[in-house]
Amino acid sequence: MAFNMDIRPKYHCLPSLPLAVLAVVFLSSVLHAEEYAFDLSEVEKKPYHFGGYAELRPVLYGLDKDAALYQLRFYGREEGHTLPEYNAALQLEGGIEKDITKLFVRTNTAYQNSYLGTTSKTTVYDAFLSVKPAPAITIDAGKKALKWGKGYAWNPVAFVDRPKNPDEPDLNLEGFVVASADYIKSFNGPLKTLSVTPVLIPVSDHMNDEFGAADHLNTAGKVYLLLYDTDIDFLFLTGASKQSRYGMDLSRNITTNIEVHGEYARIDDFMRSYITADGSTHQTVYDASSWLLGLRYLTEKDTTYILEYYRNGTGFTEQEIGDYFTFIHNSYDSYLTTGNDALLRKAATVTEKSYSRSNAGREYLYVRISQKDPFGILYWTPALTAIMNAEDGSYSLSPEISYTGITNLELRLKGTLLAGDWLSEFGEKPYDYRVELRARYYF
Amino acid sequence: MKHIVAFLVILLFAAPVFALDGTELLNQLDRNLNPESYESYRKLINIEPDGRKKEFTLFTVKKGVDKVASLFIAPASEKGRSTLRLGDNMWLYIPNVGKPIRITSLQSVVGGVFNNADILQLDYAAEYNVEKVEEQGSEYLLHLKAKTKTVAYDRIRLRAERERTLPTKIECLTEAGMLIKTLYFKDVKDFGNGLIRPAVIETDSPLYKNYKSIMILAKIKARNFKDEVFTLTFMPNLESLR
Repeated sequence: MAFNMDIRPKYHCLPSLPLAVLAVVFLSSVLHAEEYAFDLSEVEKKPYHFGGYAELRPVLYGLDKDAALYQLRFYGREEGHTLPEYNAALQLEGGIEKDITKLFVRTNTAYQNSYLGTTSKTTVYDAFLSVKPAPAITIDAGKKALKWGKGYAWNPVAFVDRPKNPDEPDLNLEGFVVASADYIKSFNGPLKTLSVTPVLIPVSDHMNDEFGAADHLNTAGKVYLLLYDTDIDFLFLTGASKQSRYGMDLSRNITTNIEVHGEYARIDDFMRSYITADGSTHQTVYDASSWLLGLRYLTEKDTTYILEYYRNGTGFTEQEIGDYFTFIHNSYDSYLTTGNDALLRKAATVTEKSYSRSNAGREYLYVRISQKDPFGILYWTPALTAIMNAEDGSYSLSPEISYTGITNLELRLKGTLLAGDWLSEFGEKPYDYRVELRARYYF
Repeated sequence: MKHIVAFLVILLFAAPVFALDGTELLNQLDRNLNPESYESYRKLINIEPDGRKKEFTLFTVKKGVDKVASLFIAPASEKGRSTLRLGDNMWLYIPNVGKPIRITSLQSVVGGVFNNADILQLDYAAEYNVEKVEEQGSEYLLHLKAKTKTVAYDRIRLRAERERTLPTKIECLTEAGMLIKTLYFKDVKDFGNGLIRPAVIETDSPLYKNYKSIMILAKIKARNFKDEVFTLTFMPNLESLR
């Protein structure tokens, strides 16, 4: 083990030399013992666990005052060119395990101070009881996020999940109250694993009310195969709360450094509501097919590329998105002329009902390039992420750098630039750029 | 003529015998390192050039030649993560992400010099053929060649002490013969039930100058598991095996 102690016995040689040698020997042994120490008490299993993280995330927005969504959100307000926002979060999780039973709870408390004032909200993300009578069988009941799908930024087959934010695809999501089971069977041969996951999703006015229509019991399921070294899932959701949907996904490593994945989902009788430039609302019903193709590629220099193409069959066309923004612009002009904000309020309602989801368009490209340990410096990871609406050519570009060199502390500085033409998805966002610092401490 | 025939016969039998010896030696070395199916605890320490360290503690289970899974116990930022390897397939489960994602053998889930193939190590004999065995004083030098292109290192030079058939040093090479990393096996220790093996593996790499990673092993003991433990669906439940 290298030991870089600079010993310079120039001024007090002989008497201190033995002491110095002793010190070196002592320190060497301490260093050696310390580096090779493995305190086995730290691996003792406890029947409970508690953990989580605390996060601070200040954000600065550079506003785009000509953008439709700026006009919709900020009309009647006087804002400067930039807008600060202060976020904090506390995520707690705990579990108790006894024999074959485990109780798990995860909560998230989010605090935000923005131009709208200060808000604070605690959400139970997960709270479920899990029973495991055998390694091959698990039965869960309670609130749980299932996280179906293989895509990194989007998951069209995530039928029982809330949509994730492609800007932050790794964040925890709030689950739904479900009863589910897993049955696993392993084999020798090309089919190595088969697992079946049936799921029941009750919906009422007080439970899972964001899932769909109330007073129905919905059924979903997933069949997973590891077949010829390929992960394959077949998934479905049926019931009266939502239109029936079914699909499949797959993922496979084609070399030691390339993974490919894909998803396909079909929704029967999908109903899309949209607004035209004159403010009239319309509905169209059709069988919507969505699919995604992606790959993850690691180069010899530890650069990771994630590429995905997403065809969103439930999304709005370029024309429909343009019409929506035109209506907002027209409503804003009307407000400036008359002082009447009725049209803007209508636009806000339509936005909340139909247009507020992330990436509501038809075609998207996702590219993320991250470099682990650049120049051989451990724990620093710069990355560049681009999300592009492939129909209108608008995009967001997010450079970031993260540092994980301090145990349990994650630091990330991230900027986002938005660009696009008039009436395009990213061109009409309320800001041109965003800079945020995220400090997260795990405990 | 008789001599030529005799020579050819000897040559015919010599080659397979030699190859068999190398393979048997590698099999023996694998069994001296671990039972075929076992559980263990490991601490991984990444040491930066300025002496700063980052530590990870893992619980690992292995079954047969191609199934291995690990659960992160510490630090808090990694707790609950698990990795699974089935032959050439590898996955990482992150509780926050909530679903297993495929990873590749050359990535590293812990950073540092150890990559996923090192952390989810299968038996050497499962991934490598013995091309040549040399006897050098008190050591064997085994020249190993990957059985398939999907193995992380194309070639390995493995030095093992002859007396106990335990590795002392392993050099991992690319197909072109470039050194990727060196593993040093140290601190031979009695783990009980006849298992005596190095408890510490140090590694350095010319690709990470002045960085070093150390793996310390503890509580290695033979244990049988159901095949269903080594599946994606089971990954969030690995803690239940401890």
